[in-house]
Amino acid sequence: MPGRGRCPDCGSTELVEDSHYSQSQLVCSDCGCVVTEGLLTTTFSDEGNLREVTYSRSTGENEQVSRSQQRGLRRVRDLCRVLQLPPTFEDTAVAYYQQAYRHSGIRAARLQKKEVLVGCCVLITCRQHNWPLTMGAICTLLYADLDVFSSIYLQIVKLLGLDVPSLCLAELVKTYCSSFKLFQASPSVPAKYVEDKEKMLSRTLQLVELANETWLVTGRHPLPVITAATFLAWQSLQPADRLSCSLARFCKLANVDLPYPASSRLQELLAVLLRMAEQLAWLRVLRLDRRSVVKHIGDLLQHRHSLVRLAFRDGTAEVETRGKEPPVWGQGQREGEVGNNSLGVAQGKRPASPALLLPPCMLKPPKRICPAPPVSTVTGDENISDSEIEQYLRTPQEVRDFQRAQAARQAAMSVPNPP
Amino acid sequence: MASAPRPERVPRLLAGCLPPPPPPPTVGLLSMEQEETYLELYLDQCAAQDDLAPPRSPLFNPVVPYGMYILNASNPDTAFNSNPEVKETSGDFSSVDLSFLPDEVTQENKDQPVISSRHETEENSESQSPQSRLPLPSEQDIGLGLNSSSLSNSHSQLHPGDTDSVQPSPEKPNSDSLSLASITPMTPMTPVSECCGIVPQLQNIVSTVNLACKLDLKKIALHAKNAEYNPKRFAAVIMRIREPRTTALIFSSGKMVCTGAKSEEQSRLAARKYARVVQKLGFPARFLDFKIQNMVGSCDVRFPIRLEGLVLTHQQFSSYEPELFPGLIYRMVKPRIVLLIFVSGKVVLTGAKERSEIYEAFENIYPILKGFKKA
Repeated sequence: MPGRGRCPDCGSTELVEDSHYSQSQLVCSDCGCVVTEGLLTTTFSDEGNLREVTYSRSTGENEQVSRSQQRGLRRVRDLCRVLQLPPTFEDTAVAYYQQAYRHSGIRAARLQKKEVLVGCCVLITCRQHNWPLTMGAICTLLYADLDVFSSIYLQIVKLLGLDVPSLCLAELVKTYCSSFKLFQASPSVPAKYVEDKEKMLSRTLQLVELANETWLVTGRHPLPVITAATFLAWQSLQPADRLSCSLARFCKLANVDLPYPASSRLQELLAVLLRMAEQLAWLRVLRLDRRSVVKHIGDLLQHRHSLVRLAFRDGTAEVETRGKEPPVWGQGQREGEVGNNSLGVAQGKRPASPALLLPPCMLKPPKRICPAPPVSTVTGDENISDSEIEQYLRTPQEVRDFQRAQAARQAAMSVPNPP
Repeated sequence: MASAPRPERVPRLLAGCLPPPPPPPTVGLLSMEQEETYLELYLDQCAAQDDLAPPRSPLFNPVVPYGMYILNASNPDTAFNSNPEVKETSGDFSSVDLSFLPDEVTQENKDQPVISSRHETEENSESQSPQSRLPLPSEQDIGLGLNSSSLSNSHSQLHPGDTDSVQPSPEKPNSDSLSLASITPMTPMTPVSECCGIVPQLQNIVSTVNLACKLDLKKIALHAKNAEYNPKRFAAVIMRIREPRTTALIFSSGKMVCTGAKSEEQSRLAARKYARVVQKLGFPARFLDFKIQNMVGSCDVRFPIRLEGLVLTHQQFSSYEPELFPGLIYRMVKPRIVLLIFVSGKVVLTGAKERSEIYEAFENIYPILKGFKKA
């Protein structure tokens, strides 16, 4: 038959598809040579006789693609399967890996780098589909260092000229919250700690949005904020039973690692909530503190937009004028204290003046005042006096002393290790 | 299935998008009257804009919106450039009010030969092609980063072109670049901060120099008090001096790296002191090829910045990964500077070979950051 190839023995093109005891065979009708034998042939011989073989199993890939690249591509597919990503992600990640491999710098890189590159390709694919995969998660899967990962990730994004969107916070909240083991009673989780997933998710999402609006998320790692928000949401849904549980214990019984910054994020979030509570008349009289405000988080979240507007004034304009006028109210406060007591009591009852809406790093006082450097009149061509240079040189006596000291040190170091 | 667009339709579509063709360029110098007309047209436009602007000097008004900033900032330069031409055209512009020109602009040009040569070459090309001084500012949109970079791009294109060209070439891009250059603000050597009075402070200068002789590092480490040498860790002597407070890496090949100085002159002085120390130790050290390799500056814009918003609008320049680093890494194209922008408003600028690049980069980034001031 035309287009089927030639018989290896006699070279005729008359090949016939036949079956011998239900095993299909391709036989040359001239000399009777069996060209292919169905299941008992190798891929190589199949290809040689123009039978169809899938490309990934064929020798074509082996010839064009180096062994380390094949290994890398296999690792990419395995990683996608481990993470249970949709099948389309796999193809995209493989494509990125191949694209990266075309650059000579990547081809010549160490194996460790190629291993991390696998993770980078998967991460970029997930980011582009808004799949919330954190770098920390990839690093633990690859047993890689975050520093190494970060350098290769930034390098590959620049090399391939890719547009990688930011981590989608809402999606991350959903997947991270779902990983908390609090939705069913178990020996470690008493019934009063079990919570409904939907209620907790919605409240956590609202708290994270609030944190984002009040500058608690920008510039920080997203995960600790979500941990703190989840904890507050869980506590606020049944405060009577759960106020006694600490953040660390919460993470332990939910079977989730507690990230180190989560406790400071928690304090910052509580401070924001306290400021918002000051604006509600019925909460102001209660004189809430960091523990009691948790009971009212539901109310605060319901009116969060207007409360944030009321509780905080724009910090941006304030900071600019701060440089020009020193704050006058500091003096006023001191005078109030020195003056009559009745005035002081009245001032205590007055609602707090709106705080500045600024990132926490701008609210803290500066660690040290950096004075403007003195204007130097150095021209670079001044004369250099000999005495100035001499101060840096050892006198001959000092040189001899130094050499003697060095020799003594060498001798002392070699003594503990006798030959 | 959508059919492929027919080929004959495509050029028409494209033609609709292209800007109108330029006016036919004239070869050679224009007559005085034609120059006057074009100049008047342009200045009338600018005078109209001036009427709209607040009466204060536009250079020191921080509230002026960006569009006005471009126009007003360009005015001093064009008005200044037109001064020689004022004399040529028999004082027709005596009525033009140039009092808003600050003293610093004129001062700079007296002190800095670099700037004055740039001015001269600009004047030359402008006198040859004033027809390109069409009212372009009104057409510029307020696309901040790209706008300033395109302006500066054309400004840089001017330099190789103007020394060679006697006549304006009829190509559209060249005339465009010259016309854009006529309204490009000059990069000042001293930081005349049009925006706000914030000046980036230089924090570190890295420079290299060639001492041009082979050095015995062991001998240097033995005879110098301020040297440390650990060949197993690093193959160079680390030497420090107190004034200016700097550190130097001295290699056995005779090359030296000097870091830690706060200004170019201090870096040069420090490098000379290190060379003198090496000389005194008995080596025939010279001082060749002193070059500043990197300059780092920092400043504070004093308002918080929404980094997530900035990375969305300037995706092609920015890289913001809060999981890795709390700041946003902004790679500016022109000048080629890397800026680290933090949420507190502090900005670090690095990668400059000259002080003016740092100032220029900050001038470029400040309007962009102001756009993200409001939460």
